[in-house]
Amino acid sequence: MWTRIKWGFRIALLLILFLFFYYVLPRHDIVQITNTYNRLTTVGANWIFYASPDVGTGESATQRDIRFIEAVDADGDVVVYRNEDTGWVWPPYFKYDSSNLQAEATAMKTSETTKRWAIVTKYGWRFPWLSTYSNAVNIRPATGPDERIIPWVNIVILTVLALIVFMLRRMWLQFRERSIDPAMAEVSETFDQVGGQAEMAGKRAKGWLSSWRKKP
Amino acid sequence: MGIVRIAFFWFIAVSVVYVLVSIYSRSVRREKLEKEWDTDPAREGVPASEREAFIEAGMAHYRSSLRRKLIALVYVIPAIIMAVIIYFVNFQ
Repeated sequence: MWTRIKWGFRIALLLILFLFFYYVLPRHDIVQITNTYNRLTTVGANWIFYASPDVGTGESATQRDIRFIEAVDADGDVVVYRNEDTGWVWPPYFKYDSSNLQAEATAMKTSETTKRWAIVTKYGWRFPWLSTYSNAVNIRPATGPDERIIPWVNIVILTVLALIVFMLRRMWLQFRERSIDPAMAEVSETFDQVGGQAEMAGKRAKGWLSSWRKKP
Repeated sequence: MGIVRIAFFWFIAVSVVYVLVSIYSRSVRREKLEKEWDTDPAREGVPASEREAFIEAGMAHYRSSLRRKLIALVYVIPAIIMAVIIYFVNFQ
């Protein structure tokens, strides 16, 4: 039972971590940009999927003008990106060039005569039922729909994070070995003494109690 | 004004990291010195006061070492990372 709870807890934690990184880390799409525009958007209960209201494009906490980029990928599926500044805190993209990005996207629009492929770097999720959009961070021209992308940024970030976790673990083990274990040894020593006395007292009390019981 | 507040909290967070890393680094060095003394057969039976002096000398040496000063990089590296991200996100 206890191991099941433990494993359930671990799996839930892993799942949360996975979703967290899946949301925050940059991903790439190879698409043809078909339209760019801005639209007054109401941000309500889905606020967590939008930039915080004080980063520049926000008019008020609930309604703001957001730039959008529409695109279509090689399979013919449509994608809609929002194009918002991220501000200085979270997620740490420090993006403040959404006007420029919008202009780049417009310049890279595909047309009937010239098909243009673009690599859009984005983070976030598109949930139509929640009206959330992934945020486009960067756009650059692609050689074609089959360009191979190696996610170097993600490789570096995850490696560094793994190193940090490893270091935290080592720091914790060092702290336990050098500070907690000696203190615990001292405590358990005194505890043993106290426990011994308590046991003696308990035995005496039991003896006294049984002296009152009826003999069978 | 917002950025000042962010910088302030950032400074506190990084300072906590700095303190933790310096405690860890000091602890590792002290353990290394203790083990160096304890595993040396030539030092068996030498009084404990000399062991203490040996460790204190080693720690004094550590305090002026480059290794300890490099811990200040925890203030510098995040700033560099931030500058690199800003460059690649906004100026590429």
